[in-house]
Amino acid sequence: MSLTTSFLGLTLQSPVMVASGPASHDVNQVRLAEEQHAGAVVLKTACSDKYEHMRFWPRPRYKLLDWDKQMDGRSKVFSLYSYEQGYSGTLEDYWKFIRVSKEHAKVPLIASIFADDAEDWADMAKRVEQSGADAIELDISSPHKPGSLGFETTFVAAIKAVMGAVRFPVLVKLAPSPELLHQCRVAEECGASALTLCNRLRGFDVDIETQRPILHGNFAGVGGPWAKYYTLRHVAEAALVSKIPISGTGGVMSGEDVIKYVLLGATTVQILSVIMVNGWESIARINKEIEEYMQRKGVTSLSEIRGKALQAMTHPEEIIRWSGEPKSGSRNLWKETGEQE
Amino acid sequence: MMKYRGLYPFPPSFAKEFPPIAQVVEEHCIACDRCPPICFFDAIVMENRPGHKYSRTAVIINANCTGCGLCFDACPVDAIIWIPDKDGEAKPKTASPLMEDTDL
Repeated sequence: MSLTTSFLGLTLQSPVMVASGPASHDVNQVRLAEEQHAGAVVLKTACSDKYEHMRFWPRPRYKLLDWDKQMDGRSKVFSLYSYEQGYSGTLEDYWKFIRVSKEHAKVPLIASIFADDAEDWADMAKRVEQSGADAIELDISSPHKPGSLGFETTFVAAIKAVMGAVRFPVLVKLAPSPELLHQCRVAEECGASALTLCNRLRGFDVDIETQRPILHGNFAGVGGPWAKYYTLRHVAEAALVSKIPISGTGGVMSGEDVIKYVLLGATTVQILSVIMVNGWESIARINKEIEEYMQRKGVTSLSEIRGKALQAMTHPEEIIRWSGEPKSGSRNLWKETGEQE
Repeated sequence: MMKYRGLYPFPPSFAKEFPPIAQVVEEHCIACDRCPPICFFDAIVMENRPGHKYSRTAVIINANCTGCGLCFDACPVDAIIWIPDKDGEAKPKTASPLMEDTDL
């Protein structure tokens, strides 16, 4: 029995990867992830120079919602409400971050970038490849105003430019939306090597005492253990039509959650919130929980069960429906009046 | 085990560039030990305080604090407060008009 997972030509010792974010912002964290036997680390997203302001973070940038203070932080369901920005260093810092991490760590590294002009996407991707990263994730789902920079510019042009500039694997990270399945198809047509599903939802919350929006006062990313249900659906939908591998991410707190993603067709699973609130040990714990499941089910490799639940999905036409109670007769009688039909 | 081993060498020193902004009001602290584990940057430790009602208190390690805000909701008695930015010390950046709000 082994957790070893083949992904984008890389051999990962576990399907559990650290997602791009505050747990992959510097070299020491790469080492921590490696010590916990993470399969790979997706580094914090670096923004192009044009988006330099995104290297500066508002303070505070997080708020824990629905957090049960009386439970020693063992809340089963909570929300991490955040206005997380990009990598806080310069691009030169970022290339060095990749180089230094690569020199010292064996864990595969997937860099993450964000830009808007196709040229910037391509230049940054080239630098990432030269710096020694094993793959790149395009954080393409962020943050353009619909209409100001359209789908073609930000999405198709970006992927095509990057595909033309580099030879290593390119993951495309998408946001949950009604357009997601279409975007998956387009990304695949453009030559993406894999899909990362999904980015976090954008949400909003208000303090009814002060009657003002909370945190920095604008919309924020929102996620937590409950978030897995919509990403599980998106992963399943995409897995049914995509030929390229999927890296699922959203709301993973346990090995069971990872198994669910795999059963719906994901090859790897990315985690982050659980590391932030429960610590780095969560990676090793989740690995162990996956192994326990595999042992119990007699599975030697996760590839044996990948997509298995998809095969058992029911087509709406096949769903057996029973009529409800008859609506004629007594169901249409107003009891107080005793009115006859 | 520590969640984080400090902010060096990357990213550049937050402590120098930005003033730390979380602070424990020691007389309010009930030494419940809930904030050190929630801090993702190892910026909160418990220290002995002879004479304190609970003999111990939480303390912010300024060099590690990024002002992220996670600890505020971990404190059951609101003993963690802001040190407001002083004029001129912070370097505020605003988004370009092209940008919508985001969460990377």
